[in-house]
Amino acid sequence: MKSAALQSSVINDLVLLSCVGLRPVLVHGGGPEINSWLLRLGHEPQFHNGLRVTDALTMEVVEMVLVGKVNKSLVSLINSAGGTAVGLCGKDARLLTARPTPDAAALGFVGEVARVDPGILRPILADGHIPVIASVAADENGQSYNVNADTAAGEIAAAMGAEKLILLTDVAGILEDRNDPDSLVKEIDISGIRKMVMEKKVAGGMIPKVNCCVRSLAQGVRTASIIDGRVPHSLLLEILTDEGAGTMITG
Amino acid sequence: MNIPFCYLTLESVKVEYTPDAEFYKIEAIVRPWRVHHVSSGLLQMGIRGVTVSDVRGFGAQGGSTERHGGSEFSEDKFIAKVKMEIVVCKDQVEAVVEKIIEEARTGEIGDGKIFLIPVSDVIRVRTGERGEKAERMSGGRADMMSLTASID
Repeated sequence: MKSAALQSSVINDLVLLSCVGLRPVLVHGGGPEINSWLLRLGHEPQFHNGLRVTDALTMEVVEMVLVGKVNKSLVSLINSAGGTAVGLCGKDARLLTARPTPDAAALGFVGEVARVDPGILRPILADGHIPVIASVAADENGQSYNVNADTAAGEIAAAMGAEKLILLTDVAGILEDRNDPDSLVKEIDISGIRKMVMEKKVAGGMIPKVNCCVRSLAQGVRTASIIDGRVPHSLLLEILTDEGAGTMITG
Repeated sequence: MNIPFCYLTLESVKVEYTPDAEFYKIEAIVRPWRVHHVSSGLLQMGIRGVTVSDVRGFGAQGGSTERHGGSEFSEDKFIAKVKMEIVVCKDQVEAVVEKIIEEARTGEIGDGKIFLIPVSDVIRVRTGERGEKAERMSGGRADMMSLTASID
């Protein structure tokens, strides 16, 4: 999320939901921040098939920026909005254990989620706090890995038996017809969305998000939504209204 | 749908099972949270007798791992599943199998398997009825199918 005003608005919505009794868990990435710090160090950000090429230096920067800067600034915003946040990354309490992706030769330290141990989240949620999780994790030997935030969110949702997974993006959702912005698909089931992907109706950048949603749904999460983070209060609209604010995929 | 009754009988005879029996038990191992989808789907098509049990199992898929609760499970780790057992007469088997697959499938590894087992006889405990009379449930699929046929 690039604009500060938008971030603030989403955080306020999150705190509101927490106040009315929902137990939200926030998982974040931070691509633009990482890019800007890499450039400050004179290192050009590189991508391969949409994933960040993460060599040793990039991994250090990713960890510092996501866990140290982005995570704490979100925690701070939640605290200012009236909630109480606890910032974690995958390494804390072995929340996420990573393993290298099959594509490690080209991508470096990009990790897939091998195991989730959601134990630490239960006392945090039970005490009324909001966990904020940075998608950095370590493998069995302590080597840091950069995990895709959507993937981390999907697997944590599956581990917690979450009711809803929500992916905030900067597009309106999934369109039935790419050229018609009014053709937003409001609700679709797993077989329907797989059909759309096969029919090439789902744009390239959206496919990993759809796969993440389906993976999560297959593990028992009730619904997974891809919503437009640019719309004010999209989070509230999605959770508290029938129309929602994007595309909801049901199990 | 306006299908003449003679076509219905023809379609229901096409599948051959060995060994041949009048009734078959359909044993489906599915994901626990899909049970509700499957049982409502079955009720909709008139299957009114189902038994479920909680089981654990593993079933290797040649190197690819199954994900359960966010974690990957290697081939020797047991994962919780539910076994659904349904006994129907031979001509209903295909429809039930198709419905189970439709409702239980997610496309990810771990969706489960279905086994068909021939059953020699079905006996109703309350009345002692055997055979087709015992297997048939009032308001069930056999009644639904004869209703559609008689409307033509």
